Amino acid sequence: MGVPRKLAAAMLKAALRLAPPITREWASAMLRELDFIPGDWAALLWALGSAAAIARHAGRGCVNLFKSSRSDQEKLMNPTGKRAIGFASGAISALALALIAFGLLFLTDFLFPQLGIARKEWTHLLGAIVIPEAIFIVAAVALWRRRKPVAMGILLTAAAIGLHVVIHVAAH
Amino acid sequence: MKLRLSPQTLLVLDSLLSEPREWKYGYDISRTTGLKSGTLYPILMRLADRELLETRWETPDPGKPPRHMYRFTPEGLRFARINAPARAAGSSRRVALGLEQA
Repeated sequence: MGVPRKLAAAMLKAALRLAPPITREWASAMLRELDFIPGDWAALLWALGSAAAIARHAGRGCVNLFKSSRSDQEKLMNPTGKRAIGFASGAISALALALIAFGLLFLTDFLFPQLGIARKEWTHLLGAIVIPEAIFIVAAVALWRRRKPVAMGILLTAAAIGLHVVIHVAAH
Repeated sequence: MKLRLSPQTLLVLDSLLSEPREWKYGYDISRTTGLKSGTLYPILMRLADRELLETRWETPDPGKPPRHMYRFTPEGLRFARINAPARAAGSSRRVALGLEQA
């Protein structure tokens, strides 16, 4: 057994282990077929395609599960509860994005200290404020009609972060 | 029945319709259709989800791992036959484009 075939088998076995139960039978089917494919490189290509198919199927299954559980919960909620959940999810998403942007800046500075990102004020303004705020505004505009509470949550978080930056700049 | 009949799906239907009562293996369908696993299996999964395709594991011979096999359900066979005109149109388009010999 050549290296590409070993790699193919290892990849599909890993996909089989990681796949959710709804995808496992199909992943197993793809793995079994591997033994009947002549040629090591053809087997590797088969495994690559199969792994992509498994990932797509598993992803779609998770999204459907999430959608159905969310719609079940939404049916039980009153309009105020739905709005509150929407608002909170918008605010939490925006806050998470801002934290990720800030974290990436620190990580970049940690990994590549020669860039001197920590000493450059404009990189902080651009990476942690300007780009996230632009994303917040675009997202809020896109969601305004369909999911107004979520859009409001995003906007309020964007305003709070902006205000925080203004106060920070004024104080320093 | 809502199913997107892409050219690739039509190829799979064609391949299964050539011997509709026979069980077929994934790799055999891949060879006859020329579809890669990343294209073929999502189509098989969709057909199976809509109960147009039945699947089963081959009874294993000693020392050989079982293989997954596929064939049309009665409803799938009806669906494939109803959509034969779409396949014919697709085939004539492929002939016109020079992708297939007349």
